[in-house]
Amino acid sequence: MNDPIIEVSHVYFSYNGAPVLSDVSLNIRKKEFVAFIGPNGGGKTTLIKLLLGILKPDRGTIKIMGQPPAKAAYHIGYVPQDVSINKSFPISVMDVVLMGRLQFHRWSRLSKKDRIAAKNALESLEMIEFQNRKIDDLSGGQRERVFIARALATEPDILFLDEPTANIDSQGRTDLYALLKELNKTKTIFVVSHDTMVLSSYVTSVACVNKNVHYHDDAEITEEMLDMGYHCPVELIAHGIPHRILKTHGDDS
Amino acid sequence: MIEALQFEFIRNAVIAGCFASLICGVIGSFVVVNRLVFLAGGIAHAAFGGIGIAFFFGIPYMVGTLGFSLIAAMIMTAVVIKNKSRADTFIGILWAVGMATGIILLDMTPGYNVNLMSFLFGSILAVPGSDIVWMIGLSVFSISAAIFFYRDLLAISYDDEFARLRGVPVNLIYFLFIGLIAVSIVIIIRVVGLILVIALLTIPPYIAEKYVKSLAQMMVFSTLLAVVFNLSGLWIAYTYNLTSGATIILVAAAAFFISMIFDFFFLNKHPEST
Repeated sequence: MNDPIIEVSHVYFSYNGAPVLSDVSLNIRKKEFVAFIGPNGGGKTTLIKLLLGILKPDRGTIKIMGQPPAKAAYHIGYVPQDVSINKSFPISVMDVVLMGRLQFHRWSRLSKKDRIAAKNALESLEMIEFQNRKIDDLSGGQRERVFIARALATEPDILFLDEPTANIDSQGRTDLYALLKELNKTKTIFVVSHDTMVLSSYVTSVACVNKNVHYHDDAEITEEMLDMGYHCPVELIAHGIPHRILKTHGDDS
Repeated sequence: MIEALQFEFIRNAVIAGCFASLICGVIGSFVVVNRLVFLAGGIAHAAFGGIGIAFFFGIPYMVGTLGFSLIAAMIMTAVVIKNKSRADTFIGILWAVGMATGIILLDMTPGYNVNLMSFLFGSILAVPGSDIVWMIGLSVFSISAAIFFYRDLLAISYDDEFARLRGVPVNLIYFLFIGLIAVSIVIIIRVVGLILVIALLTIPPYIAEKYVKSLAQMMVFSTLLAVVFNLSGLWIAYTYNLTSGATIILVAAAAFFISMIFDFFFLNKHPEST
């Protein structure tokens, strides 16, 4: 329970010579619910892509369940940003979810088991009735659920969601976070979000990503954080601690 | 048309048209959803270099054209994988180089007397029986490959990043896919010629795309459309003694504009759902 599921140590990454992340170290334990917050261009998506093995760090090491990311991607269910996906593509909801059943290094013939797993994933998100609909005909919130179902169909231990609430109204957000909270009982979850509501009663820890990463355990979202000058440059609204605005990190570099 | 079927060349043309339709439906759908129409055009025109090679060295048309198109396609694929956003310039260059090579080689072929027009605009009514055998073989091969790799092709077309995470060998599948396009183009050049191959590869899937809910449906619907276009174009060409490639394309284009008008008046739904 206490061994880290993700270990990042002294990772540097630059894009065309411009440093995006520098000296990032992070240890995440099993069944945490981590929010990645920070400004646009701060490196949140880059960090996710490094963890997924889509990008390779310039320096430093990343281990996921003790393995390099390229090997461990198998354990990760990835929900990419909605905007990054070709919207007008003629594909049914079921076909999208079945993508989650493409297996590592196996020519991807689908078995009955795969179809059942895809159906179960859609059912758990209450989207089974849409299985034959075209993905383009769904609303933003429904599409998000389909992408989560696709990630769940991979039967992951870890779930990465990149800005899952960007196209969803506030009721949809509440529902989505309630769902993630439920999934968090068995899975480690990472959410990239601008949505400060994610920080309320749902997450167990917060990582502020802005070139560096500052990791706050739940216990640290207190007044002490403010006093230590060790804070996130975002507005933070948390249950029980209303309208707290955190100052910028003291050690900007 | 029915009595015309007693002629072997008509029977060959109908068979060739049907197999070409199957190709257009299956491979053409992948081309359209991947927005690879320009790349397909590049391969088709580069294929002309292969035609030149076939005549200059006296090797069979299918061997020369297929070989050259596959090589051109593989080079284009490598460039697309390396730099997707700037690949169009390179494809345009290969497009022109293929055409120029073909013309020079045909110029230099002694006693060259092949009708150039038949390669530019097709000669479905003059397809020899030996080429029909090639066409059927290649069609069966490329359709089987597309069906076997359907899930992988669908995955890399829709979301290649996710496919890569699930362990799909994305680049390998991409090479295979462009190779299948090259094979398809060589087949369809026989039917409508290289100038018109793009229209037949793209019009049926494009019309179909608006009315379907999945890629598989798109393939079935566009295959049926292509059969209708091919056979009615063939019938018009036979009846009025016109060039078959051009009549097939004009039938397809007419259907395309009718579908656009139909959409304009009857399919005005599709508000951006959010």
